[in-house]
Amino acid sequence: MSLIRGGRSARPWWTLAMLVTLVAAWLPLLPLLEPIVRFDRLAEMLDARTAGLLWRSIWISSAAATLAMLIGWPYALVCTRFRFPGAALFRLLMPLPLLLPPLMVAQAWFGLTGMTGPAATIFTFGMCYAPLPALLAARSLGKQSAAAFETALLISPRLALLSMLRISLLPTLIGGSFTFLFTAADFAVPDYFATVGDLFHVYAAEIFGHSRNFDFAAGATASLPLILIGLVVLLGNAQLLKRQLGFEKGHGRFARATPAGKASAPLMLLMLAFVAALLLAPLARVLFETGHQGVLSERSWLEVSQQAFRNSVGRGRGDIVRTLTFSGAAGLMCLLLAPLWAHLLLRCRNAWRLPLLIILCLPLLVPSVALGFGSILMFNRSWLDSFYSSMWLPALLIAGRFLPIAVFILLDAMSRVPDSQEESAELAGCHYLQRLFRYRLGSQRASLWLSASLVVAFGVRELDFAILLPAANASAAVRYYNALHFARDNFVAAYGLILVFLLFLPVMLHAWWQSLRSTKS
Amino acid sequence: MRISPAALLLSLPAFACSTSDSPSTGADLVVYCSLDQDLSEDILLDFETRTGLKVEIQFDVERNKTVGLVNRILAEAQNNPRADVYWNNEIAHTLRLKNAGLTVSYQSPSAEGIPASFRDPEGHWTGFAARARVILYRTDREGPVPHKLDDFLDPATASVGAMAQPLTGTTLTNATVLSLQRGNQQMLDWFTAVEKAGLSFGSGNADVMRRTANGDFLWCFTDTDDAAKAIAQGHPLAVRYLEQGDGDLGALLIPNSICILDSGKNLGAAQQFVDYVLSVEVEERLANSVSEQIPLHAGVEIPAGIQIPGQDYKVMDVDWDAVAVAISSRAIAFQKAFVK
Repeated sequence: MSLIRGGRSARPWWTLAMLVTLVAAWLPLLPLLEPIVRFDRLAEMLDARTAGLLWRSIWISSAAATLAMLIGWPYALVCTRFRFPGAALFRLLMPLPLLLPPLMVAQAWFGLTGMTGPAATIFTFGMCYAPLPALLAARSLGKQSAAAFETALLISPRLALLSMLRISLLPTLIGGSFTFLFTAADFAVPDYFATVGDLFHVYAAEIFGHSRNFDFAAGATASLPLILIGLVVLLGNAQLLKRQLGFEKGHGRFARATPAGKASAPLMLLMLAFVAALLLAPLARVLFETGHQGVLSERSWLEVSQQAFRNSVGRGRGDIVRTLTFSGAAGLMCLLLAPLWAHLLLRCRNAWRLPLLIILCLPLLVPSVALGFGSILMFNRSWLDSFYSSMWLPALLIAGRFLPIAVFILLDAMSRVPDSQEESAELAGCHYLQRLFRYRLGSQRASLWLSASLVVAFGVRELDFAILLPAANASAAVRYYNALHFARDNFVAAYGLILVFLLFLPVMLHAWWQSLRSTKS
Repeated sequence: MRISPAALLLSLPAFACSTSDSPSTGADLVVYCSLDQDLSEDILLDFETRTGLKVEIQFDVERNKTVGLVNRILAEAQNNPRADVYWNNEIAHTLRLKNAGLTVSYQSPSAEGIPASFRDPEGHWTGFAARARVILYRTDREGPVPHKLDDFLDPATASVGAMAQPLTGTTLTNATVLSLQRGNQQMLDWFTAVEKAGLSFGSGNADVMRRTANGDFLWCFTDTDDAAKAIAQGHPLAVRYLEQGDGDLGALLIPNSICILDSGKNLGAAQQFVDYVLSVEVEERLANSVSEQIPLHAGVEIPAGIQIPGQDYKVMDVDWDAVAVAISSRAIAFQKAFVK
C-alpha cells in the first residue's frame, strides 16, 4: 500500500524531510527512548507528591491556555474583520508579545502589580502566548470566502458573526493547545513566581531536578506523563485540523473587513487595552528597571539606565549575533522542511497520519535539557568535532524541535487552498517544488514567514539545550539568564529590551512591507 | 535547473562539517566556567590577551547552579572529552569529577599560600576566592536576626526570614555539610521544623537576597557575594556571620575551585591557565569586584568591607571529600522534601 497520494515526484522530497527530521530531532532522543518508556519505574515515581505536581501543572496550563484564547480570539476577530482607525496598527502589533521572553514578562508584571504564585504564572503565560491563537485565528479570518460571508451577512449580521467565529474557532483552539504545551513544559516562570512569593512547584521542576542530579534516565522517565498529555493534545489538534479541511476553502475573493461604524471607538479602546496589557505595560516596566536602584543609591535613573544599555551592547553584542545566526538558520531550514511536512500530512493516507504526527511532534514534547544531553551522547565524537562545535548543531536541533509549530501553521494554511490548483499544476507538468511553493503556498506566503519567524523566536528563547552545546553556549539566552540570577537587574532589563527590539524589527518591517504592497495593489 | 532532494541531503552534512564558525575551532584551551559570567569573563579574556592563546569559554547559568557544566563534563567524557579546565564557583562538584577519575593532578606554584584545607593533597583541585554563608539583614528595621543556625527554629525569628531551598548551589552544599554533622534525617526534620516555625523558602540565594532588599523579609540566609551586590545597590543592609560564639562551629566558607580535566589535549595551556587563575592578582580582582569574593592567599589587598576568615570571624572545618560523596543522595532527599 502506498503511503501517499501526492504523485511520484513528491516522494523523494517527503523522504528528505523525514530523514532530516530523524537526524535533527530523533537521533538525540535515541539514548532517552528506553528510559522514557520505563513504565515500571514511572509507577514507582508516581506518588501523592508527584501526582500533586502533575495536577498543578495541568490546571495551570489549562487556565493559561484558556486565558490566551480569551484574549487572542477577540483580538484577532476585531482587528482582522472590522474596519476602524488603528486596526492596521493593531494587526501589526499582534505577533510582538510572542517575542517577549516569558521570564521578562513575569518580572515586569511582578514589578507592576506584585502578583505571585500560580495565578501570576497563569496570567504571564496567558499574556505571552495570546498571540498564538490570535495569529492562527487571524489567518483563518483573513482567508474566509467572501461569497460565504456575504451570503451570511445578507441573511443576518448575527449569522455573519457566527460564520467568523466558526471559521476561527479551530485555529484558536490549536493556538490554545500550544499554549498549554509550552506552559506545562516551562520551569523558569513558575520558579520565578515561587521565588518572589510563596513557594510552589510544578511538574517540570521534578523533571529538571532529576536531570540536575545527573539522573537523566529518571528525568526521561519522569517526563513521560507530560509527553503523553502533550501527544494527546497534539493528536487532538490533528483532529481539529481534519475537521478544518471540511470547511469552506478560499475560492476566489476573500471577505473584507466590515466598517465598525459607531462601534469604532469602543473597539479601539478594547484593542488599546489589549495592546497595553500584552505589550506596552511590560515593556514600560522593563524600561523602568533599566535604571532602577535602591533608596540609598546616589546615581540617577538615567545614568544607571545608560550604563546598563552600554554594558548590554558592549558585552552581549556577539552573543546576540550568534543567537540570531543559529536561530535564523533553524528558521531557514523550517522554510523548506515545514511545507514538505505539512504537504505530506495533508496528502498522506489516513492510516499513516497518526504515526507521522508522532514522529513529527514527540521531539517537541521531550524536555529540552534531555534533548541537549542526548545530543552530547550522539554527536560528541572525535570524527564529528567540527559539526558538534558548529552553529549547525543548535540550528538543526531548534529546527527539529520547533518544526511541529511551523507545520501546524502551514497545514492550516494549506488546507484552505483548493486541491484543484495543485492538481492543475501537476497536469501541466510543474515540478513538485513549484507546485508546493507556488500553487499551494503562493497565496499563503505570510503563513510561511510566520511559521519560520516563530521557529526563530523560540530558538532565541531556548536555554536548556543551548547551554549544553558548544556553539550555542555563548548565546543571548545564556547571558540573559546568567545576569538575571546574579541580580544584574539593570543589565537584564536593558539586554532584554535590545533583544526584543531586534526580534520586533523584522516582524515590523515585514508587516510594513506587506501593507505597502497591498496599498500599491 | 532541477534540484534533487538526494543531492541536497548529501550536501547538508558535508556543508555542516565544513563550517568553521565554532568558537572551539582551533582553540588552544577549552575552559568551562561556572563563576558568574560578568565576573570571570574579563579575567579569561585578559589571559587570552597576555598569552596569545585562543581560549574557548563555556559558561553555566545560575539556574543550573553549577551542575549544568558538571553534568556536561560527565556526559562528554563518555565519548570525547572536550574541556581542559573546569573553574567551579563552589567545590563539592569538583570533587565529584575527581571521584569520577576525570581530573589530572597538578600542583600549581600559584597555590602556595592558600591554606591546606582548601587544596587537594594529591593536587587534583585547588580552592581560591571564597564566599561565606551569612545572614543578610535590614538595618532600617528592628526585629530578631539569628546568631546561630538553631535560632531559625524560633517562630519570632523564622517568620521574618528566608533562605533558599537546599536543592542547588551553595545552599545544597551547606545543607549537605550540616547533614553530615547532624545526620540526614535530623537535617530533614530541622527543615520541617524551621518551615513550621514560619521560615520562608525561595528558589535561590540571589532571590531571597532580592526580597530582603525589597523589604519583604527582615533577614535572609545567603552568600557574601549576593550580600555585597545588594549593599552596593544602595539597600540598607548588613551582614552577620553565624555560629561565632565560644564552642560554635563557625561560618561555612565555600571557595571557588579549579581543576585540570583529563581531555588528553592542551595540558601545557591548562597548567598555564590554572597558574594564572590561582594567582594573587586574580584573587585581588575578584575581591575588588562587585561580588567581593574572599581571598584565600594571605596579604591580598582587599576593600574595606571584606572581613578576613580566621581573623575577623570563625570558619567551620569541613571534610569536603565526604561532602562530595554525600551531595548527590542528599540532593535527591531534599528534592523529595521540597519539590511538592
